[in-house]
Amino acid sequence: MKQIRPRQNYLGAGGWVWAGNYKLERYLYILHRVTGLGMLFFVIFHLIETTFFRIQGQDVWEATMALLQNPWFEVGIYLVAVAFVYHALNGLRLILQEFGFFLGKPTPPIYPYKDALRKKRPWTLAMVAVIVILALVFLLNFII
Amino acid sequence: MWRTRLHLLHMLTGILIAVLLGIHMVIQHLDAVLRFFGATTTDPTSWGSMIARASQGIWVALYIALLAFLLYHALYGLRGVILEVTTSVKLERIITWSFIIIGIIVFIWGAYVPVVLLSS
Repeated sequence: MKQIRPRQNYLGAGGWVWAGNYKLERYLYILHRVTGLGMLFFVIFHLIETTFFRIQGQDVWEATMALLQNPWFEVGIYLVAVAFVYHALNGLRLILQEFGFFLGKPTPPIYPYKDALRKKRPWTLAMVAVIVILALVFLLNFII
Repeated sequence: MWRTRLHLLHMLTGILIAVLLGIHMVIQHLDAVLRFFGATTTDPTSWGSMIARASQGIWVALYIALLAFLLYHALYGLRGVILEVTTSVKLERIITWSFIIIGIIVFIWGAYVPVVLLSS
């Protein structure tokens, strides 16, 4: 008898970047993961900066801050700020949707009906708009 | 059952981080915008500004709480990413326990300096 092989749709590491024919939400998910890992990577350096360098006193601290004035570091720090805005708001969306908010009233499934994802999508798009606005506000701060 | 509790804690720490890190981000990265609207803030990365915050108990408490929430949230999240590709329960257990140990060590490391600065 042929053995039943479960998890035929198991994508493994490939699922980190591509997991089928999903649209916006799938890419928000990937970006959520990328920003999360990116911020974790940043936090390691941020902790080194605020512990080993900070404890050595004013001169070392000011030398570190002068180093961070480098435009490339500025760009990196801006990206971390945007990653935070994105990860926070998308995370809020995930929590609210997990608890069943934004699902709307139940409707009879008469064709063409909207699936749950499309019912929630206007709110998702509104969240993306808020993220873009906040990213621009942070950009303004880095420019002025 | 305890796994769903961990996931709930992940969401709860996420909300708490959004609040605490939101404060941190506004102070650190929106200083010029705040000044534009009339607030009188100095450069938040200057030594004087940093020490002024580091010598106030409430700031130190908020930052240490942020560190604790952040470590749980980040390591639980990374564990979730890694556990998508592991195949043995034993390996998953090793990853879980090593993350717990790493988290505790990094928390002690990260919380030590603010406490020293507060008491000096």
